[in-house]
Amino acid sequence: MKIFPFILIFTALITFVAGQLLFKRAMVASQNAGFGKEFATFFVPGIVSMTVSFFLTLGLLQHFDLSYLYPFQGLSVIIIRVTAALLLKEKLTLQLTIGALLISLGVVLVSLS
Amino acid sequence: MPLRILRWLGNPWLQIALNALIVTASELFLKLGARETAHLADRWAWTGISGLNSSWTWLGIVFVILSLVSWLYVLKQVPLSIAFPLSNVVHVLVPLSCWLFLGELISPRRWCGIALVLVGLVIVAKPFARMEEKLEEKL
Repeated sequence: MKIFPFILIFTALITFVAGQLLFKRAMVASQNAGFGKEFATFFVPGIVSMTVSFFLTLGLLQHFDLSYLYPFQGLSVIIIRVTAALLLKEKLTLQLTIGALLISLGVVLVSLS
Repeated sequence: MPLRILRWLGNPWLQIALNALIVTASELFLKLGARETAHLADRWAWTGISGLNSSWTWLGIVFVILSLVSWLYVLKQVPLSIAFPLSNVVHVLVPLSCWLFLGELISPRRWCGIALVLVGLVIVAKPFARMEEKLEEKL
């Protein structure tokens, strides 16, 4: 694989994960304090991050099969599993981690073939 | 009665399933849009912006927005570390529908991957189901 597409795939992945974390944080804020300033502080950067990820993915889709490309986002399961525990203080159970690992492994298998 | 229907619609399981279907549809539309515009490659092609020349892409964007709204609704009720792994059911749905609708091929290895994802999903979903039961007991 050439390095440039790989960098694009990686950037699309990171912006996607950041967007997910920001969205969850925004929804937590909305439950505590409604759709106010705190919600916007997390939601707006979330939207920006997701938009970047969206257009990078669209550009990649022009050159690769969807069934090859999409599963790369599967790596995000592991990344989100870890970052949600670290940054959002969500509970990290063994069962969830095993499940997440299997999903990631399956997704990588899907993308390799 | 309407209250019961609302409650049923608000079920996080149903919402996650609905979200997965919307995401799958959006991915297929975006691929159709990208396929239609792949020949337009210019200097800025890597940004994907030329994809906007296809109406499939715009339909895809509408579905992406719909999926965002339904996803936010899911996030409101379910921890990210459970909801996100479950949302990966799209990694089963997308290859399957690529095979069915776009004529892309699924190799034996890819079928194995799909099976592994499914096993992982069941493992993640189990504690979630238990958590839901506890929630219902509280109500």
